[in-house]
Amino acid sequence: MTCESPSAGATAEPTPSLTATTPWRSYGGRRRSTRTSRVRVSAVVAGATVLAVLLVPPLVQLDQQAVDLSAELLPPSWAHPFGTDDVGRDLLLRCVYGLRVSLTVGLVAALTAAVLGIAVGATAGALGGWADRAMMRAVDTISSVPHLLLGVFIVAMFRPGVWPVVVSVGLTHWVSTARIVRAEVLSLRSRPYIDAAISGGASRRRIAVRHLIPAVLPQAGLAATLMVPHAMWHESALSFLGLGLPAHLASLGNLIQGARGSLLAGQWWPTLFPGLLIIIPTLAVAGLAGAWRERINPRRRSELML
Amino acid sequence: MLELRSVTAGYARNEPVFDDVSLTVTPGEAVGLVGPSGCGKSTLARVAALLHRPDSGAVVLDGEPVRHWRHRAPRAQRTAFGVVFQQPRLSADPRLTLSDLIEEPLRATGRRETARERVAELAGTVGLTQDLLGRRPHEVSDGQLQRACLARALILRPRWLICDEMTAMLDASTTAALVAVVESYRSATGAGLLAVGHDRTLLERWCDHTVHWENLTASPTPGNSL
Amino acid sequence: MTVPPPVLSVRGLSVRFLMPHGRPVAAVTDARFDVLPGECLALLGESGCGKSVLASALLGLLPGNAQTAGEALLGDLNLLTADERTLAGTVRGRRIGLVPQSPAAHLTPVRTIRSQLGEVISELKGIRRGARLQHAVLAAAGRAGFPEDHLDRHPHQLSGGLAQRAATALALVGDAPLLLADEPTTGLDRELVDRTVDELRRHVDARSGAAGHGLLMITHDLAAAERIADRVAVMYAGRIVELGEADAFFGAPGPRHPYSRRLLQALPDRAFTAIPGMPPELGDLPDGCAFAARCERATGLCSTRPPTVDGISCHHPHQGPEAAPYTLMRKGADRA
Repeated sequence: MTCESPSAGATAEPTPSLTATTPWRSYGGRRRSTRTSRVRVSAVVAGATVLAVLLVPPLVQLDQQAVDLSAELLPPSWAHPFGTDDVGRDLLLRCVYGLRVSLTVGLVAALTAAVLGIAVGATAGALGGWADRAMMRAVDTISSVPHLLLGVFIVAMFRPGVWPVVVSVGLTHWVSTARIVRAEVLSLRSRPYIDAAISGGASRRRIAVRHLIPAVLPQAGLAATLMVPHAMWHESALSFLGLGLPAHLASLGNLIQGARGSLLAGQWWPTLFPGLLIIIPTLAVAGLAGAWRERINPRRRSELML
Repeated sequence: MLELRSVTAGYARNEPVFDDVSLTVTPGEAVGLVGPSGCGKSTLARVAALLHRPDSGAVVLDGEPVRHWRHRAPRAQRTAFGVVFQQPRLSADPRLTLSDLIEEPLRATGRRETARERVAELAGTVGLTQDLLGRRPHEVSDGQLQRACLARALILRPRWLICDEMTAMLDASTTAALVAVVESYRSATGAGLLAVGHDRTLLERWCDHTVHWENLTASPTPGNSL
Repeated sequence: MTVPPPVLSVRGLSVRFLMPHGRPVAAVTDARFDVLPGECLALLGESGCGKSVLASALLGLLPGNAQTAGEALLGDLNLLTADERTLAGTVRGRRIGLVPQSPAAHLTPVRTIRSQLGEVISELKGIRRGARLQHAVLAAAGRAGFPEDHLDRHPHQLSGGLAQRAATALALVGDAPLLLADEPTTGLDRELVDRTVDELRRHVDARSGAAGHGLLMITHDLAAAERIADRVAVMYAGRIVELGEADAFFGAPGPRHPYSRRLLQALPDRAFTAIPGMPPELGDLPDGCAFAARCERATGLCSTRPPTVDGISCHHPHQGPEAAPYTLMRKGADRA
């Protein structure tokens, strides 16, 4: 408990007897600061990741493919902060390029999944009845097949490249968004304010456009955001299995896959750094998503008041 | 004339909330329906406002049986009802400001031009200030929000008002104020009222006559004993 | 007869919320009252007047942007400065029992009433298991009038009245000297309201003297307050504007503050007329009396803050009980 600065006494509090002497005690300040610092760290990490990915390749005119056989498998040093790989390529540079590919795939795939999920979920929830049942059974069927298996199946139908991976991730990951959106729409549909809108003469389309979709978007956006790291993991898993991106394109999965041999020989850095680059942005996105979830929760805002 | 003829309704098949209920409200009449909480009177109010399809029985509006419910009901039919619910927080879209909330029915029925002045006029009637109209539901109190919900219910000049526990969450003064608004609207327009609630004293004071739920249902409602 | 020391003594309690933009919101200003053992004090006011904030402040459950001032003494512990560990470990449930506003939301939906009572008893009383715990559960249920044969039900299988009794039983387990009931009757019908408040009253009357329980009931339901309160405090725009005996307040000579008087007149079994206008914003309170803008007795004097005399904060209060002869005389004159 801390006392506030003298400015507290200067505000126009209407109790003369109290104003002069009453020290206002702040309340629960500590709890709030840990929350904000967590959000700040997440934002800085996420921002740094995006900046590195956007700026490093064009600014640093270095060839990530530059092979230097005299410098193979060097441990981390000032010259090579992440060390070098088995053909002497700088791992920091490879990781940044890898992150760029993984992030792009993750973003595009998550966007695909989100759009698909919102469309299916909102339609099912709004229509209800047999249409809802049919669509949700289809969703159940898709989610009963393991994601990776389905992903492998889709990738295998195409030539290796970025797009098959995006399609594979997009097509396997929309189901969770669809479920969230449908549940949200269903719960909103039974709110009295929808009843009031019906009595106010609103058409079905107007209710959807004016009341349902705006209410669902933040939740769906949250699901889509959390999907980005998920999609990155999926891409890495496919690449690790050798089914994802072609080996010459550095992606985080490819990098880990290529470093398997050296890990067994005791060289940890070619696996550790790409691995950390998958985990850290994931945590940052989760931290930001958590803050967002609190922000969109209307109850939190009203709780601050009366 | 609003007639409910031996209506049975519920939310799950074979589990009616109430069974074989009949009730009539004539134009200009105020009917109060008193019942304990959880007895199904709110469901009855929703059936009367064409917001819930009954399992059996008929709702007859001005001699014409209602065939469609919720958004399938003809617009002229469903906008003949102004509804006010118990919990203003759940009855207001949290994203709309109070003035958007009040004028939403006008926009939904394509009468946007007249919206501004009608909102100003109704805000005065229900006692909302200009400053409050620009706020969102979480920035006002329950009583202020319920005033806005009543204004929304009146903006299309309905012929029937359905008030489901409209004042259950409100203090005595706001209750008296909102009831006065409803009554002056009714005396100006001759609208009929179905007021549903558990407060016998209030409904007897408010309405021309009050009906008790137990006299309305043929069979006693299960699961309602203490 | 000596007056026992109060269970709760609130002195100059103020709560305000710091807002990101604009002025702080003064939710409670300079509240002072006592709750005596064996007494029920009803804190009356409309929604948004600050009475729930006051309850949250007593329980240490204010949000992060709140600031407090003054003191609320429970025995010798100041609830406003006590740290979270003290509040959680020794106050909530043990020294203050909370009867919640919405029992359905207060009870754990997936567990039976028996198991919830058992958990609270073993937590508060240290009775871990076996026949003694079962016995204690039955005793606790009995205290709140909860029927034994319903103990193995889940909350959703209970009617509103029984859920309220279950929540009351949980609140009574700790045998706390102070019971805090925050809108215990919202959404209940009149019969259930009466039963609920009667049970609370019975608990307060269960013991006499200094060992008695004190009850602070926060409500906007004037009829419920009339039924059980010994004293009433009326809150308007964050301040307690009137504090007095319930009999005088609800009966003759009636409330003394113009606001309380108009509030009572708004009841459907009285004049059923609303107070014109609306209460001021707690973020933008006038310097003088907050009710002046709606008050028919207001004069120029009301732009200054009224002093609190005999529990009334008003420049022009109605006649008080000490002027009873005058009132009686006037009543007699009316009749004649």
